[in-house]
Amino acid sequence: MENGDGIIQRRLTRQDLLKLAAVTGGAGIVAGRAGAAGAMRAQLAAESGRLQVLDWAGYGNDGGQAMFAQYVKQHPANKPQFTYMTNEADALAKLHAGLEPDLFRPYVGWVKYFATSGLVQPWDPSLISNFKHLNPFMVKAGQYNGKQYGIPDDWGFDAILYRADKVKPKSRSFNLLWDERYKGKIAWYDDPVLMLTVAGLYFGFKDPWNQTDAELKKSQQLLISKKHLVRLIWSSETDMDNAFASGDLWIAYAWPNDWVQMKAKKLNVVYMHPKEKPIAWVGMFMLLQGAARPKLAHAYVNAWSSAPSGKWLEDNYGYGHANTVARPSSSDLLKALQLSNPRAVTLPNAYLDRDVPRRAVYARLWQEVKAA
Amino acid sequence: MARGEGRLTDIGARRRRRARRALTTPGLLGLPVAWLAVFFLVPIGIVAAYSIDALAIFPGKHPITLDGWRELLHSGIYLGLFWKSVKMSLIVSAIVVLLAYPLAYYLALSGTKRKYVLLLILIAPFLTSYLLRVLAWKVILGSQGVVNSFLFWTGLRSPDHPIEQLLYSRFAVMLVLAYIWLPFVALPIFVSLENLDMRLLEAASDLGATRWQAFLRVTLPLSAPGAAAAFLFIFIPTVGEFVTPSLVGGTSGYMYGNQISDLFGTGFPDWRTGSVLALFLLAVIASFTLVFSRFTRTSQVVG
Repeated sequence: MENGDGIIQRRLTRQDLLKLAAVTGGAGIVAGRAGAAGAMRAQLAAESGRLQVLDWAGYGNDGGQAMFAQYVKQHPANKPQFTYMTNEADALAKLHAGLEPDLFRPYVGWVKYFATSGLVQPWDPSLISNFKHLNPFMVKAGQYNGKQYGIPDDWGFDAILYRADKVKPKSRSFNLLWDERYKGKIAWYDDPVLMLTVAGLYFGFKDPWNQTDAELKKSQQLLISKKHLVRLIWSSETDMDNAFASGDLWIAYAWPNDWVQMKAKKLNVVYMHPKEKPIAWVGMFMLLQGAARPKLAHAYVNAWSSAPSGKWLEDNYGYGHANTVARPSSSDLLKALQLSNPRAVTLPNAYLDRDVPRRAVYARLWQEVKAA
Repeated sequence: MARGEGRLTDIGARRRRRARRALTTPGLLGLPVAWLAVFFLVPIGIVAAYSIDALAIFPGKHPITLDGWRELLHSGIYLGLFWKSVKMSLIVSAIVVLLAYPLAYYLALSGTKRKYVLLLILIAPFLTSYLLRVLAWKVILGSQGVVNSFLFWTGLRSPDHPIEQLLYSRFAVMLVLAYIWLPFVALPIFVSLENLDMRLLEAASDLGATRWQAFLRVTLPLSAPGAAAAFLFIFIPTVGEFVTPSLVGGTSGYMYGNQISDLFGTGFPDWRTGSVLALFLLAVIASFTLVFSRFTRTSQVVG
């Protein structure tokens, strides 16, 4: 595997060289490759301080260290410093409130939103040596207007986790999330868009991500009318896992990691893909516009994109990884999560999460569901 | 001549003293007033600007509008949630005052030599983190928690049917809020009872009043401002509470403060509505406090 710094030093683009010329007053260019290398070192040196990362809980120094260990080894003076986000909307609020991370990780449904927001800039894939191993379908999903705004990393599903010893679903459907028989044992996910989208999928609307006003009203009414059955609307995965493990919950809108965690606790659980098809997501690293440490950010993403990081993620969190070389140790996990299927995140298997043109409207209606 | 000079010196000294006195008040008040302006009035002004779109987190043109306020006043959902939070807070405040009063009464009037030790024990939980105290209740109230496990052990409930309403419910929020704020409520009542003029009780006794009559006609009216202040101490922070409900409230324990927090954070950021809701809460609480303190003379305790 190539060293990220090596790549940086060898593959200087014309644009980089021009920037370096500005940095070194042109002297480096005149002096040839030796000068350019010196200028590169000067630029890396200029990227001082700790890399600022806005990421999800579990992906930082709170358990995710193995996935960026390679970066820390190469850049011990620029270790990542984390701020945590609970979802993309939370990240957006933090960015607008003045937080200035170098990179962050929204999911695939937000690529277009952030690419057009002016908040992010495209990556230079030539600086990410592991880029060539990434799933081409997911790589494409990270593009907007031909530019690579998102580097795909983790992926998985939004589906239903339930206790097989307590719950007998009438059908393999999202309606298990509002099954009257399990009142007080159900958890929904707190997201401005997803629960309304699930309701839209349940109703079979043409485009659940872009529902008409009437459709949205119907989805909202369904959620409001069923909310009394729900014990918890979770935003912290840990809270939900604890409640599920302690028996407070039997059914939850959940991610594959929750299935892995509950299996580890010896609970008899099923991770059900509903007949309406689950929503699939792909984590996309994004580089902030005006990031103070762009080269370090590339090195950090390169570390996350490596096969060992991917394997660790699959083994420990039960999520898929965009690196197609990465494979989990357990063949059961490989099969259950379809980790070897390069198109597992799209039809006919699942709906890949996508841009929501009227995100603010969805968010407002979801807030009303919670307040009602 | 010498007498004239002396008089002039006296006048000069008096003027200097007067000038010093004139500067003393603004000098002493300057820092707190500046603090209040910078850390209270300015932030409120900023929030007010967001509420009418004079400021906005998203770039682009945003005409000033009162739409956020109109939407609040026409929204049955937000006002309903506000009323729900007010009711929960009123219930918690009333119950806690009723619980704290006998406690404070015992500490202040029983004549025990250990009253300050007992007072210290009462406020001891404050030596630990707020979050820790709330989270401890999750261990106690959960389906497999202390209470349910005890009920399973006694055979009063089967493990398949624990009491679900203990956690992630409105009850859990009110219980934990009561626990958290109990010492805050006991302290002002204790102060007001401690300052009671004991001669009044002796006089009541001399005039033939029973202990119960003396309590009803002397102790209770004189300690009422303390109890009212205590009520306010708990009502004001709990009505806008969002940490406790987010940890133990679940769906049914969701409060108005959670909605404000969500609008500023985890929901798609809607700072205009969040600001409107926050200012509405501030205005209602301020009005309530003014009216309440005017009729209950809480200033005797607080001021």
